[in-house]
Amino acid sequence: MAQIEIEHLTKRYHGGEAANAAVADLSLAIEAGAFVTLLGPSGCGKTTTLRLIAGYLTPDAGSIAVAGRVLSSPQSVLPPEERGMGMVFQNYAVWPHKTVFENVVFGLKIRRVAAAEARTRVARMLDLVNLSGLESRYPGELSGGQQQRVALARSLVVEPTILLLDEPLSNLDAKLRERMRMELKQLQRRTGITFVYVTHDQAEALALSDRIAVMHQGRLQQYGTPREVYRRPANRVVADFMGLVNLFPAEIRQNGAGLVVTAGPLELALDLPPGMGAGDKVDLAIRPESIRLKAPQGAGEPGLRGLIEEHTYLGNLTEYVVALGPLRLRVQAGPELDLAPGSEALLSIDAARCKVFGGRE
Amino acid sequence: MTAAALAAASPPRARFRLDYWVGGAAIAALIVLIVLPLLSLFWGSIAAQDGLTLGYFARVVTNRLYYQALFNSLTLGAWTGLFSLLIGVPLAWAVVRTDLPGRGFVKLTATLSYLSPPFLLAIAYVNLFSPRAGVINAFLRGALPGHDFTFNIFSMPGLVLVTVPHAFPFVYLLAASALASVDASYEESAQILGAGKLRTALSVTLPLVAPAILAGTLIGFVNAIALFGSQAIIGLPARIFTLPTRIYALFNYPPQYGLASALSLIFVALTVAALSLQRAYLARRSFVTLSGKGSRPQRLSLGPWRWPLFGFCALVFLVAILLPYGSLLAVSLSKSWGLAFWKNLTLANYAFVLFQYDVTQRAILNSLLLASLAATASVALGAAIGWIDLRTAMKGRRVLDYVSLVPLGLPGIVMAAALIQFWLKTPVPLYGSLAILFLAYCARYLPLGVRAANTALRQIDPSLEESARILGASWGETMREVTLPLMRGSLFAGWILVFVPAIQELSASILLFSSKSMTVAVAVYNLYENGYIEPVAALALINAAIIAAAIWLANRVGGASRVASPA
Repeated sequence: MAQIEIEHLTKRYHGGEAANAAVADLSLAIEAGAFVTLLGPSGCGKTTTLRLIAGYLTPDAGSIAVAGRVLSSPQSVLPPEERGMGMVFQNYAVWPHKTVFENVVFGLKIRRVAAAEARTRVARMLDLVNLSGLESRYPGELSGGQQQRVALARSLVVEPTILLLDEPLSNLDAKLRERMRMELKQLQRRTGITFVYVTHDQAEALALSDRIAVMHQGRLQQYGTPREVYRRPANRVVADFMGLVNLFPAEIRQNGAGLVVTAGPLELALDLPPGMGAGDKVDLAIRPESIRLKAPQGAGEPGLRGLIEEHTYLGNLTEYVVALGPLRLRVQAGPELDLAPGSEALLSIDAARCKVFGGRE
Repeated sequence: MTAAALAAASPPRARFRLDYWVGGAAIAALIVLIVLPLLSLFWGSIAAQDGLTLGYFARVVTNRLYYQALFNSLTLGAWTGLFSLLIGVPLAWAVVRTDLPGRGFVKLTATLSYLSPPFLLAIAYVNLFSPRAGVINAFLRGALPGHDFTFNIFSMPGLVLVTVPHAFPFVYLLAASALASVDASYEESAQILGAGKLRTALSVTLPLVAPAILAGTLIGFVNAIALFGSQAIIGLPARIFTLPTRIYALFNYPPQYGLASALSLIFVALTVAALSLQRAYLARRSFVTLSGKGSRPQRLSLGPWRWPLFGFCALVFLVAILLPYGSLLAVSLSKSWGLAFWKNLTLANYAFVLFQYDVTQRAILNSLLLASLAATASVALGAAIGWIDLRTAMKGRRVLDYVSLVPLGLPGIVMAAALIQFWLKTPVPLYGSLAILFLAYCARYLPLGVRAANTALRQIDPSLEESARILGASWGETMREVTLPLMRGSLFAGWILVFVPAIQELSASILLFSSKSMTVAVAVYNLYENGYIEPVAALALINAAIIAAAIWLANRVGGASRVASPA
């Protein structure tokens, strides 16, 4: 049985219509000890979901159960202080009038843990997050990364079974973010605590999560492992959100024995979702890394020919915009390839890694 | 296994919702302090022996006695507003935007004028400019025989003169903060486009700060027309009745509650109209403060012009501070005012008011007690209301906030009139006790408490409280450990902001006091009424000294406390 079970959860603000509910009919099961990420653009309902799990908000419909016990429903909500969870906020929410030690020991004091034991537990936790020696500092004297670690230590020292994290790394600079990302992952493995993590950064979600719940406009779009979500997006919204993707309007056509997807000069034979047939209008999604570019060896070399329109040198790779008839493709190539704008290039597309989405009129 | 862990983490607790109790108490307090007295006032204005009547309102608008008072109040307010503008704006501009020498001194002038008890100024100017005995008038007559350059303080210009020093700081404060928050880049972008300094000031800066200036002028207007003390001291001998003094007269035996209520409501309508205008202006000001990323405003180099401007500021200081306080000091040290000064020095007046006049000690104790209690209560109530408004989803919380701001529109004497009518209808014998003064002060200064709490709470990110809750802290524990410590600095500032006007409160106290519940300001007023010129000066200065001591103490304590700002 899953540890957190969210069923048909709906939350509206200001009594709006169900259509623009912050969270609409969300169902999600989170296993004990998992690192689950709620991913989506701002306004997708991910933070609202997290605050519903924490008990700050009352759902309009549906329920949240933890370990088989319903904690939130429209009828009653167990207040946050009785849920035994931890939460790390985007702005750290480290109390500025308390020292590092006072911040971390707070939850233990509330739980009436004996002072001596509390001191050892705080010391151990500060050690775990590499803050030993800063016990008597005030948060104003700490860097953003250090404050974030105080927030983590404060949440973890009470040994919650569930830790909720609301974009905890978004206020840190890029380098620190990457390091904290690794520390978070290690911390989760070591403690075995269930992490429910909210972010809008798909790279962060891919790097950290056991499973990702992609949300859009209050609805769950896909729930799966990072690999599933990236390689087999459930719809064009997920495909569009998970990294760079070329999306083209396309059509399915009969080609001899099989069906092909055509868009401009492109014609790809690929696995179609069940129920699609010739004449269907679809969206074709091609990731930049599924396209191979190379310089033509001679004028007569066969293959798909495109015209380089732009190139952007990014160091470890080069990004090209290639014109292919009416289509503009974004392609990423290794640093060894160097094609000038205006030159021709040969493209090969790995059809097995392309996706089509139906539902277009 | 997880179920067991969760159960261990959250032991079942008895549900005592402290937050509900605090919220309920705040609502009850608002009803008793504001809603019921106001309803009594409404009722009093329309209740006749048998049924309802509009007769009181009819008499108020047709009888010269009453509409003349309204007209006089408007005249006083208009002149005071105009002069406040003419003084407040140049001072604010000089302090914030120029290299005027002695800017700290100008700031001090505005602060001291704001803190001075208004009746103190009136008494001082009577000593200087009363038609016969005023020393400056006497001096002018002696120095220039045959010419009459004397100034009669008992006149509308005299009333404006003693009122403006109390009103211009409102214009000054709002103008200064607006000028300081205009992002320099607005002006720089006008200049880079080729506009000169004057052009920039007129076409960019002025439109940006004009709403704040007008808002300040309107607050000055509202405060000016509500001052009972100066209007009684200067206006009554001049036979210039204003709304507060006319309402006061209606409470003389036999009290005419119906007329007093009707006149009070007209007074409220006037005040509320001015304040809603002010709110509308201030709302337009928001675009100034939004940008404020602490950029330094440009300072204009005045060159030789700094001396005339400095002279102007010095003149304001002379009129608002030096002359009144200097003369009061001189009077308080004289055996008899007007005789050869240096031969008549004495401390007898201080000895008299402090030790012989049996009212003083009681009055000082009462005032200290009332001001401390009222400051504490209005800040505490303000914190509860602010918290409900900003941190809960309670239905009707906006109403709570509005009701708590209602006293802004109630002049002190109207507040007193409403409280009298309400408590006389109840079996509780509150009239004439310290308790009714306490209620009046709490209600009058509640908006200051609410504002202090709102400012504080807006600076505290809700996540700071939420993170305490999820760690297991109850509402009460969160308040004690997180919210209140973080609000402490602002609440303390709010406390002082209430204490200072409360210790000099006269407009409401004058209707509510009894010999047992005498306050300092009432004692000063009574002494003055009875013609004790010299002891009055001594007592007025003692009152000012108490205010100064309170502020000094506040700075000591406030400065020592670690006012943390949230991340």
